[in-house]
Amino acid sequence: MATQNSRLSRGSRSAFGLTLGQRWMVHICLLIMCIPAILPALWMVSTSLKSNADITGSSGTSISIKDLIPQQLHGENYTSALTAVPFDIYLQNTLMLCLISVIGAVGSSAVVAYGFARIPFRGKGFWFSLMIATMALPGQVTMVPVFALFKALGWYGTFLPLIVPAFFGSAFYVFLLSQFFKTLPEEMAESARVDGASEWTIFTRVVLPLSKSALATCALFQFLGVWNDFLGPLLYLNDPRQYTVGYGLQQFLSAFGSRWAELMAATTVFTLPIIVLFFFAQKTFIQGISTTGGK
Amino acid sequence: MGSISLKNAGMVVLTICAIGFIFKPKPPVQSYPDREKVRFWHMWSGEWKDVIDKIVLRFNQSQDKYELIALSIPSGASTKFLMGVAGGNPPDVMAQWEQVIPTWAESGLIQDLRPLMTPDEYEMFDREAYPLVKKIGMYKGKLYGVTTGINISGIYYRPDFFREVGLDPDQFPKTLEEIDAIAPKLDVWDKDKQLKRIGWLSPNWTSLAPAFGGGFYDWEAGKLTLDRPENVRALEYMVNSRKRLGFDRVVRFQSGYGSDFGAAWSFIGGAQAIQMDGMWRIEQIGKYAPKLEYRVTQMPPPKGGVPLSGSTGGNFMIIPTGAKNPKGAAAFLKFWSGIDNPERAAEFYTWGGWLPLYPRVTNAKIYQDYLKKYPQYRPMLAMMDSQHVDPSPPVIIQQFLMDKINQKQDLALRGVVSPAQAVKDLTREVNEELGRRRKLGYAE
Repeated sequence: MATQNSRLSRGSRSAFGLTLGQRWMVHICLLIMCIPAILPALWMVSTSLKSNADITGSSGTSISIKDLIPQQLHGENYTSALTAVPFDIYLQNTLMLCLISVIGAVGSSAVVAYGFARIPFRGKGFWFSLMIATMALPGQVTMVPVFALFKALGWYGTFLPLIVPAFFGSAFYVFLLSQFFKTLPEEMAESARVDGASEWTIFTRVVLPLSKSALATCALFQFLGVWNDFLGPLLYLNDPRQYTVGYGLQQFLSAFGSRWAELMAATTVFTLPIIVLFFFAQKTFIQGISTTGGK
Repeated sequence: MGSISLKNAGMVVLTICAIGFIFKPKPPVQSYPDREKVRFWHMWSGEWKDVIDKIVLRFNQSQDKYELIALSIPSGASTKFLMGVAGGNPPDVMAQWEQVIPTWAESGLIQDLRPLMTPDEYEMFDREAYPLVKKIGMYKGKLYGVTTGINISGIYYRPDFFREVGLDPDQFPKTLEEIDAIAPKLDVWDKDKQLKRIGWLSPNWTSLAPAFGGGFYDWEAGKLTLDRPENVRALEYMVNSRKRLGFDRVVRFQSGYGSDFGAAWSFIGGAQAIQMDGMWRIEQIGKYAPKLEYRVTQMPPPKGGVPLSGSTGGNFMIIPTGAKNPKGAAAFLKFWSGIDNPERAAEFYTWGGWLPLYPRVTNAKIYQDYLKKYPQYRPMLAMMDSQHVDPSPPVIIQQFLMDKINQKQDLALRGVVSPAQAVKDLTREVNEELGRRRKLGYAE
């Protein structure tokens, strides 16, 4: 009986030993603390549904809870924003770039990371340090020679400068994945070797299936990088039909900077895929972050 | 289990949508495959881009040798240009309005345009172009930029507000002091002592200094004149003008308007009764507030000051040194600016609301008709011949100088330093920069 009571008592308490009431209080406090973080996003969505006249009056732009609720919904801001510039073409290009560069970056980085994590070779420490050191090199330093190289290859004005480098690995992802691969039990690879598996088979059949969360983390980072990239398309693309969403949003900002409603509608549309992606991949992403030490 | 299925279904739908988007065919490009390509980069976007596209279309239709391919780069245009030059792939012609001519000319990035003009064309340009057109495009005696549109500011005021406070809108003040006298009547405050409407707010330092008899550059001697006492007086005037309203109040009031393009311009909204602004506002008012009652006049000088004075800027065309088709670029440049045919070019100026390069363009019938529709341009046009309307000084540190002038102006307005000290600091810092460049062996 005593054991049963104890179980009941434990059942109403959380892992931190809080009662239901205390948990409610904690959640309310956390929700209040979330408000400043979520306010800009709410303002963005709210503004995207207002008329320009509602946003700025003689007192100017203001942020208050009362003002967050539009007096009248102006869904036409979205139509206006999405027809002002060809966002469908931009989205098409961006998705293509994201898809290919995610495959390239994650695939190539995983191969390199596996080599550093599991295959012994002479000077491994030196080459790994050298690779890590490239992360400290600012992009501006290599911008001109890299541009000249792509120009010499005849890639200027094509998507290739934005795609091909992804297939040569990323120092950050290599670091992230090699740290993760090191945590996998070596015994699994050993038993596969005993069964006659090659290093490639071990990599593809044993290591990669166990590394989904880390791979997903790298994929998400790569996706975000390509999605938000402005400089790459600016430098290498010359045809408006090749523009990407990140570049298109900048263009929209320059052209319609004062039309807050449409600007916020465009920004909402721009942000939405990232939120949706994060929603679907949230669990894997957080798991990947926490297991690779990339906190 | 159910939620997992939903997620999977969502992922499948998203993947299908993504693939659908990726492989959706793009619309074909219309082009003239047999013509020489001329690549034109510019920084206009939105409604302005439509105007540029019209001019480009007109150029392509006007001849059968070149095809002009325009690319709008509203953000990062200079970065793209510099990378294009460094990588050996610059455009053939580029429209600019930033402070780039001295630096780019000195670095050999842009070419002298005179060799691309016939002697007759250059002679006509030299003889007929408004003085400030040449000031904008010339550097060390060479023509690096052909101005395609001049920007001049004027005073916009609201007659309805004048009448509201018992002032006669037909009798606009003749001096800055007279404006200061009526400005408090035009201010409107709310019960919390916050500004609802500003009567008059002085323009920026570069516009005011010439009106006080000052200025930052001696165009005849070709030297900077930063520490002139008139420049100090102009800044003192600005500081006193802000003091009346309270610097913080003005900042708060202005921040409410952010980027005030088009219909969102504070003047249209009735937030300012008298305001100094560029001539492009006339076209915008015509578009966004056609029934607005307003008038435009020149900024009056201070008592004993210089009339018909101020600052100016403009859009100009440059041709990079590595341009692959400089002749095609020059053909477009002449087409738009009207060097070869001012009458034809007059129409373009009515599309963009820009002020023309030549009196001949101004006098063209199409432009005169435009002036009948928008007589508000006339006070600005009257300033085109003035010798006291100056663009940014053509010095190698042009951008640095303009940044410093703005920085010192802000510090003085915030009360951090006195106007005299601001001018002293400006002079010292600019001289230090010139000295540093000299020491390093850079061009002066």
